[in-house]
Amino acid sequence: MTELPVNLRFLALRLSVIAIITLLGVQLVRMQLVSPVPAPPLATGDQPRILLSDASRGLIYDRNGTPLVTNVPSYVLRIVPAALPADQTDRQIALVTIERESGVPVATLEAATRQPLALIDPTAPIEVGTLPDVTEAIRLRAVLAAIPGVEITATPQRMYLGGELVAHFIGHVGAIDATDVETYLKNGYPLNATVGRSGLELVFEEPLRGEPTRRLVVADPSGRVLSDLSELASRPGADIELSIDMDLQRVTADALNAAIEAGLPDEVPGRAPPTRVAAAVAIDVRTGEVLAQVSLPSFDPNVLNDGDRPALEALLRDPTRPLVDRTYMEAHPPGSTFKTLVAYAALEEDVATPETKVTSTGAIYIQDEFDPSVTYVFRDWAAHGTTDLYWGLARSSDVYFYYLSGGYRSGGVTYFEGLGATRLADYAQQIGLGTPTGLELPGETGGLVPSPDWKEQAVGDAWFLGDTYTFGIGQGYLTVSPMQMAILVSAIANDGSVLQPRLVRGIRESDELVETPRIVAAQLSNEGDSLAVIREAMRITAGPGGTAWRGQPKGLTIGGKTGTAEFGSPYPDGEFDTHGWYIGFAPFEDPEIAVAVYVEHGIGSTHAGPVARTMFEEYFNLSETAP
Amino acid sequence: MTVLRGVTLGAQPWLRRPDRVIGDPLLLLAAVLIGGVGLLSLQGATRIEDGGLSDDVARQSAFLAVGGVVILVMRRVDYRLLKLAWFPILTLWIGMLALVLVAGATEFGARRWFLVGNYSLQPSEFARIATVIAIAAVASSRDATPRGFVFLLLGFLIPAGLILIEPDLGSTLALAAAWLALMVAWPLSLRGLWAIAATAVAFVPLAFALAVPGYQRERLAVFLDPQRDPLGSGFVLRQVEVALGSGGVTGRGLEFGVSALEGLSTRNSDFALAQVGEQMGLLGTLTVLVAFAIIAWRGLAIAESAPDRFGQLLAVGLTALLVVQALLHVAVNIRLFPATGIPLPLISLGGSSMIATAAMIGLLLSIAARRQADPLERWTAARWD
Repeated sequence: MTELPVNLRFLALRLSVIAIITLLGVQLVRMQLVSPVPAPPLATGDQPRILLSDASRGLIYDRNGTPLVTNVPSYVLRIVPAALPADQTDRQIALVTIERESGVPVATLEAATRQPLALIDPTAPIEVGTLPDVTEAIRLRAVLAAIPGVEITATPQRMYLGGELVAHFIGHVGAIDATDVETYLKNGYPLNATVGRSGLELVFEEPLRGEPTRRLVVADPSGRVLSDLSELASRPGADIELSIDMDLQRVTADALNAAIEAGLPDEVPGRAPPTRVAAAVAIDVRTGEVLAQVSLPSFDPNVLNDGDRPALEALLRDPTRPLVDRTYMEAHPPGSTFKTLVAYAALEEDVATPETKVTSTGAIYIQDEFDPSVTYVFRDWAAHGTTDLYWGLARSSDVYFYYLSGGYRSGGVTYFEGLGATRLADYAQQIGLGTPTGLELPGETGGLVPSPDWKEQAVGDAWFLGDTYTFGIGQGYLTVSPMQMAILVSAIANDGSVLQPRLVRGIRESDELVETPRIVAAQLSNEGDSLAVIREAMRITAGPGGTAWRGQPKGLTIGGKTGTAEFGSPYPDGEFDTHGWYIGFAPFEDPEIAVAVYVEHGIGSTHAGPVARTMFEEYFNLSETAP
Repeated sequence: MTVLRGVTLGAQPWLRRPDRVIGDPLLLLAAVLIGGVGLLSLQGATRIEDGGLSDDVARQSAFLAVGGVVILVMRRVDYRLLKLAWFPILTLWIGMLALVLVAGATEFGARRWFLVGNYSLQPSEFARIATVIAIAAVASSRDATPRGFVFLLLGFLIPAGLILIEPDLGSTLALAAAWLALMVAWPLSLRGLWAIAATAVAFVPLAFALAVPGYQRERLAVFLDPQRDPLGSGFVLRQVEVALGSGGVTGRGLEFGVSALEGLSTRNSDFALAQVGEQMGLLGTLTVLVAFAIIAWRGLAIAESAPDRFGQLLAVGLTALLVVQALLHVAVNIRLFPATGIPLPLISLGGSSMIATAAMIGLLLSIAARRQADPLERWTAARWD
């Protein structure tokens, strides 16, 4: 046999490739151009479609594994109008039997069969009642088994075990809001889905939801499934582990309630009644983890879920606005707690040293720059005599901080050069005031750090020396949230790391905890260890003779600072209502925890201080030594 | 000049810069075109609403980038090194094939993958290249004698058998086609080729009875009669036909309503061509087909003008492997072949396939860069010099 030469063999290979490609090309042309298979016409109906059924939603735990949110089955009685007996007498008997067994009146059942949806699609089940528990569901299933068109199904419902204690940040779930429908549909949610509506339920909707089961089915136009094609298994929602310590949370809430009662002024006719509002935050200064976050008044989160209209409306109308989380949604003047930052800024800018001495005779007198006959008086809350920086802070001398912030000039002579409002505002902003802390919750306020530029634009007035003085003692335009103050103390305690607070320690998916990273939002300068000076001053402040001594538990050395900020309109005697503040950290030597306490009506030392002490006692297990 | 351990790299013959920068621009261009069409199609199929890139597109782009680097590296390395190293290469990949059967991850009922972190490695993709290298190496140094043939047959049957029992019928068929092309080019005597053909014809019924698993038989039955199970495995085939049909000549565009392939987990891999057809119509599918035809044409041209016999046989084997796999994929998608999961090179989602294909193209370019000038080249050189 003659052998083919190699070049002919290559020709053969080429020809076979050409032949195959031509064949494929012809078939492509046939399928796409000449006789394409038409898509099945919509009118006749059977269509492949994807059915979703939700995976079980993730649970939420505190840092010790205490469940705060869980899923419970909710049993629902439904009827399918089309499946009820067709014969009138049989139908009546069926409805009466349902009424006798379930307590749902026949009238309700009749109405259900005539509602619009039932007329459009009589095969769709219609909810007519909910059942109290599983026993009742089983009993009804048994006794109504003979009646066609009755369904008893279990659907998962959220149960908020943490209750009022954690209601603000846990949030709630509900039906998709009309304004968000588009977004959710695009993300593959069915219209009747239950989604996170507020708090962590909203922010962590994606991991909590997991992946729903996706069934590819063929269904007829009414939606009835004709056959299953394939199914993609669901992935259950991830559990969320909070950094919150429920014991600390509970103790804090109790202490805050006591502080509200103690600090509440008497009602005066013609004056708005005082509000029972308080908030407290505890943060781990090493990580930024939020250990406790309490806002009072609170509310029962199950009210938001149950669809209990009257209770919900009462909640929305409540003048104390319980739905607002006071720890981060509202800002108030921090009062003297702000002096810690003023002192730090003065040290950093070499405006003062720890030994700088200022004498307070109970007030400071400033002549008007243009009219020497006018003298302004800026009062101190007491005559403190001569103090250095440590005792200026410990006694909370206002005059000391008038000097540090605004300086002192008299008769054209500068006796003390202060920081000035602009530099002070810079330091306040560096430590995170004026901007939200980045807590993983919606609606956080940034508060307000005033400055001359800001005042000119927003108020339309020039910035005066008096504004600087008021700024320097944490009053006036300056507002902060308790969360921001907790971050401020943490930064003082941990040598200058301004941390981003976080409520969620991690997300647990198939037994693996993905931890939330520690985020340092900013690093403060700390030349000459001025933060250590502030900590030492705060230790003296919380010690005997300091204003913050009520925050210090027995057997523990802490650093603390009180604040009492005036607000509202004056009483006839010229006194104001005051907010009470307390900030502190412990232990002094190696700080672990920082707290910020805010009591809407009260005095920092008297009312906010004991709350901080109780929190420290709980955190360090000192309660047995407490009085 | 780079100096490594006292050896001047540029002086090593296998690392010396080849005469041509890009061995075969047309081949490379065709590959880039196919990859581009694939990425566009994937972006359309996995688009997400906020306009960003989906995870799949990000992964595939990364694979394309890695593939580009692989091409650049492979075309620079002298392919003749492989002739020396064929035995360790083949042993390594046969070992991997055996290992995957024992320790691989199971998906869709097949053990084909190793899971490495977030990625999966499919050794059969690389084992097929290793087999082609080995066959080409041995064949180039032996005459086409019956003894040599037996040797080459064994060299083919061992890896092919391991791939077949994974089971991965599509990969096995592409490898068999490459082996057959190598036998034609070796050149095995006509009598030998007839013997292979006769054996194959005789074996098909036997193999069908013994070795073809039930699901493959069902697929074959459905292939012959799609109405047999219209909502089961026939459903997929019908939807693929609808997808191609609804694409028409110009396609439905990259963004349209519900795709006929909605819900098929293999739409981006085993039915990638149908997806291209639905989005870009006949223009898209013919573009892909013509691009593979160009690769076949250039691959065989590279083989004919290769500087040595090993290069010639290697080019034939690689071209056949690459092109036959593509044509098999097309044939499955247009119902000319029973459904067997086979990815479309350069288009289907998957890292192993992408990198293996890039390696093949890089090797072809490496051979091309060292070939004698061909008429086309002389013509272009004359035009542009």
